[in-house]
Amino acid sequence: MPTSSDTKKKIAEEIIRLRISQMIVNEEYKAKRLKVSVHLALGHEAIAVAVSEIMEQGDNLLPSHRNITHNLARAGKLRPILDEYYLRPTGINAAHSGSMNMLNPERGIVYTSSILGNAFPVATGVALSVKRNGKKNATIVIVGDGSMEEGSFYESMLMARSMGLPVIFLIENNEWSMSTHIDQRRSPIDASLFSKSLDIRYELLQGNNPFGYIEKLKDVRAYSIENNMPVCIEVKVATLGERRLPSTPEFPEGEFINYHAGPAPEVSLNEWPMIKESEEDPVFVLTKHIEQSVLEEDARRQFVILQKEIA
Amino acid sequence: MPETPQPITYLQHVNGTLRKAVGAEEGLVVFGQNVSAGSRISGFTKGFAVKENGIIINSTNTENSLVGFGFGIMIGGGKAAFFMKQLDFLFLGIDQLVNTYNIIRNSAHAKGSFTILPVTVDMGYEGAQSSSNNFADFCSIARIDGYALTNKYDVERIIATHFAKPGFRIISVSQRMYKDEIIDPGEPMVTDKDMKFAQYKDGPDTTIVSFNFSFPYAWKLGLELEKAGKTPAVFNVNYMTPIDWAPILESIKRTKKLVIFDDSKSENLSCFSLLAEARSLDLKKDIFIRRTLGDDWLNPVSDVMDIDYEAISQELSA
Repeated sequence: MPTSSDTKKKIAEEIIRLRISQMIVNEEYKAKRLKVSVHLALGHEAIAVAVSEIMEQGDNLLPSHRNITHNLARAGKLRPILDEYYLRPTGINAAHSGSMNMLNPERGIVYTSSILGNAFPVATGVALSVKRNGKKNATIVIVGDGSMEEGSFYESMLMARSMGLPVIFLIENNEWSMSTHIDQRRSPIDASLFSKSLDIRYELLQGNNPFGYIEKLKDVRAYSIENNMPVCIEVKVATLGERRLPSTPEFPEGEFINYHAGPAPEVSLNEWPMIKESEEDPVFVLTKHIEQSVLEEDARRQFVILQKEIA
Repeated sequence: MPETPQPITYLQHVNGTLRKAVGAEEGLVVFGQNVSAGSRISGFTKGFAVKENGIIINSTNTENSLVGFGFGIMIGGGKAAFFMKQLDFLFLGIDQLVNTYNIIRNSAHAKGSFTILPVTVDMGYEGAQSSSNNFADFCSIARIDGYALTNKYDVERIIATHFAKPGFRIISVSQRMYKDEIIDPGEPMVTDKDMKFAQYKDGPDTTIVSFNFSFPYAWKLGLELEKAGKTPAVFNVNYMTPIDWAPILESIKRTKKLVIFDDSKSENLSCFSLLAEARSLDLKKDIFIRRTLGDDWLNPVSDVMDIDYEAISQELSA
């Protein structure tokens, strides 16, 4: 079913809100006002908004340490999240969690983990509880591609399939594990074949089209719950904020540094928050679906609202 | 002629007590490898049956993930009990035991229950890969509530107090004692609400304290001293240490004689903090009996400690 223009506008506004919110966090980070290490997820906004959009009351979400977009999407506001980064009592977890373990149980974020692969089995247990309570809810565990290398990925997919548990294993694949690219650290993993070997449905999402993502995720959620089956989804993302170090004899064009954590020095807070004119940037992708002038006007509006929110 | 009742073994008593506890819980999820297949973990889970709204899962061989799975059930508000054949296997779940448990207890929104029940393999004949027998030391890594089952009373009390209750804990049994007759020390004269320790005998002559799974040695020494006309105080520590040592130190102040048993093979022993405090009390005698390791300690050799009770008795009388 085609997405209505009102729904499209709402989704686009959410993506822009998540982007500007992260840019504000980045500025606070640059100014050394944050007390904890934050892993920005600039470029991950489309999948975060899509996941939040398809979640229903009682669904559970278990993101990784790079959880900022998911927390922003589920909380619907920046202030309590920023306050948690300041470790203020007004933080979303009253300064108990900081960044990497930020939770929001009321909005479905029941667990987050900074340990690679750690959340996979926890999600299987949550899903079992949901199933045994007779509830028709999904459990979505979201991790990066580095986690696919952990044994718990295989173990938990196997357990979820063996026990018939509706767990959605969602891999945000940005091809980097800290500063090491996939090509530098391992042989390829064909998640499609891997899933097939366990008799688990696999879906690939790429291109940052949030409307397509939502349609696909709605279908996956329904399939997973109706059939009590796990699903593996691989989402291609680019974590924006990369940079190059000054030129050296070894790296004449400057060594490429992938953004992992900390502030993104080359990203600045702008009323128009697009970072890259490519499909790697969900804000750019929005311009393919909605007039850029409309998006720019909304960005200016949200910029003001967010500035007031954190003032 | 009436038949003489067969003595109940440690394993039979543990299994029987757990069978009742498992059968009484609403909505219990029992899981683990072979929990309802084959020997049922050598009889540990024999005859388990859950209520209609419970489930028993013969699980995959995925220890790390099974620990996380249990925590997930706890987050979801359920009751989980993971039975496992060997404490050593639980090392595979150390990330979950430390990191996941820390997140769960820090946020306090997980209202369910999770209990892990591993067998501490302390026969000694399994070889190099099965050499971990310091249960309390294991639990102290992440300050996990851990209880060692050593006798008739503590088996019943610890399971009744902790099994399937809200929160997380580990309860372990000793494989070495499986076929031994269960020791019935009777009701302790002193204990605490959680059963971290218990005092089973009181007397002015000697204070005997056992750690880990060495209660049978302490109990036997107590009986030997009584045969020799002495009245010892006997304590057992079921929990990771240090605990509040006050009741034990009071006894030591009175007797001025201390015997400690600790059968663990770790370098750092659970008894050390008590020993340090006790040795500042101007003792007339302290005897510290630990598992001495020969050059062959990684080989399949017995873990049973060879205790000369008569020699200890004489030394205490000297």
